Amino acid sequence: MAGAVLGGLLVVLVVGPLARLLWEAPPGTIAEAALDPEVRDAVALTILTASVATAIAVVLGIPLGYLLARSRFPGSRFLSGLLDLPVVIPHPVAGIALMLFLGRHSTIGGALANFGLEIVNHVPGIVAAMLFVSAPLVVSGAREAFASVDPKLERVARTLGDSPWGAFRRISLPLATRGILAGALLAWGRSVSEFGAIVVLTYHPRVASVLIYDRFTLSGLPAAVPAAALLLLVALGVFLLIRVLGPAERTPR
Amino acid sequence: MIRLDGVHLRAGGIFRLEGIDLEVESAGYGLIIGPTGSGKTTLLEAIAGHVPLTSGRILLDDEDVTNAAPERRRIGFVYQGYHLFPHFSVRENLTYGLDRARVPRDEASRRVNELAAILDIGELLDRGITGLSGGEQQRIALARALVPRPRILLLDEPFAAVDHSMRRVLRNTLADLREHESVTTLHVTHDVDDALRLGSMVAVLSRGRVAQSGPPEDVFRNPVSPFVADFLGSGTVLRGRIERLDGVGEAAAGAEPESGNSRRFRAVFVTPDLRLDVVADHVGEAHVLIRPEDVLVSKTELPGYPRNRFTASITRLEREGPVVIVHLRTGKTDFRAALTASTVNEQGMARNDPVAVAMKATAVHVF
Repeated sequence: MAGAVLGGLLVVLVVGPLARLLWEAPPGTIAEAALDPEVRDAVALTILTASVATAIAVVLGIPLGYLLARSRFPGSRFLSGLLDLPVVIPHPVAGIALMLFLGRHSTIGGALANFGLEIVNHVPGIVAAMLFVSAPLVVSGAREAFASVDPKLERVARTLGDSPWGAFRRISLPLATRGILAGALLAWGRSVSEFGAIVVLTYHPRVASVLIYDRFTLSGLPAAVPAAALLLLVALGVFLLIRVLGPAERTPR
Repeated sequence: MIRLDGVHLRAGGIFRLEGIDLEVESAGYGLIIGPTGSGKTTLLEAIAGHVPLTSGRILLDDEDVTNAAPERRRIGFVYQGYHLFPHFSVRENLTYGLDRARVPRDEASRRVNELAAILDIGELLDRGITGLSGGEQQRIALARALVPRPRILLLDEPFAAVDHSMRRVLRNTLADLREHESVTTLHVTHDVDDALRLGSMVAVLSRGRVAQSGPPEDVFRNPVSPFVADFLGSGTVLRGRIERLDGVGEAAAGAEPESGNSRRFRAVFVTPDLRLDVVADHVGEAHVLIRPEDVLVSKTELPGYPRNRFTASITRLEREGPVVIVHLRTGKTDFRAALTASTVNEQGMARNDPVAVAMKATAVHVF
């Protein structure tokens, strides 16, 4: 009973503000916000950059997660811990660190700029910030997912004549897919919600969170609410969509 | 044929396998028996190529595969937990090996049906893996390993996870299957029964070394060390001293020249409780093995045994079908005898009864 009350309190704390936000924004004002080109562009940019950041995190995070789950090499635990660091540092700090690392005057940023790839104050900067804060979620999701696949399954596949890559692709990867997707979904959500690192790295073009903050500081709460409610609905929609379309426990034909 | 030459395997700074020499002839059935942690599974994984050797060679049908990748060795491997692919149907599990070898679909299907018939899993082919019984999973894992016609079959405790009655059925199935496929097999177990019933060769593994190997009957009846005797449950192992029967020192005794390569002579084995006539090849500290089936027990006198005759009392009767294991004590020494149930009943043996005990000198195995 006491557990239910305490648990209920937390649910109210999480759901309450979101419900209140939607309550404050009648459907008419949300529709209006959706038609506002500035808001539309910001939301589209947010979804695009979050998706690109997640895709990069998945492509790079799967091999790393597999490596961390399967092999014990000196410092593998340390590396695991290190990769979780972005989750605990304040996000403006992340933005500043990224700026120093990728800015025009840094070695990497300078080299990329020479190839015409501007990062800071451009769209790639948004992707970089999102990737930095969300990649750990993909890596740890993949690591946990691969760790739960018994390595003996791959060994059996190998003795049955499969190559290391084939055994990975046909056995471990499909069995880890759910876990990897869960990590990717979290990473996507984390990217959409990112503000602190992005605002330092690329203030303009504005992603949704930056736009909403802008409106809040310039014109006050009423101006920010419809766009905020819209972003909430979009994020919610994508989450539900993936949950519905995502792979269920695969039943063999 | 499986041959291991001086196989050493070092992992995590310690030797998991130390100088393993082993051979199973073509179409033979080798058994590796040993306690948990003796390196049995590691040995199979080394043969399959999943863990690299530190030194030594592995030959399969005269081909040196020491450095070959697992997929090049043509091995069938059945793990204790079966490890069926959970995201595939039974049929997809069975065709996995043939699909990798790009065997045409109808040929693959014929081969799968052939083995499914022998293993009685035809009904299960289009089912998923979840909800299968342990016995079913075991037979599917066996079939999956054999479908691609491996030259070697490696079995890691294949009966450990099934109950007793199923185990008997599976042993028979395995025997049928081996007759049909005539594949060289190496089977790892901690079950002495498996070793005696199935193997043409048995090797006892202890801490990464082969403690003894040979035909199962030989190893069982003539263990070379207390560890082997104890592990195989061959009988009661006692510790004591071997002394010359005539009481003369070793050097002066002039051992009876017997045929064979070892100097064996009549001697006595002495403990605080017992004095047994034995045939020995050395004097001093020694162990003897008393096999339950070689111990004669009677409530009346046992004529015709002038030596190795003493009295004991029954501490417990353990009935195992037609055989009764009689637990005996003389002084502070416990040992066992195996009698037929009819002998025990006829003589009305019961706990605490005093009995006469006798055994032949040749029945006491010295090591």
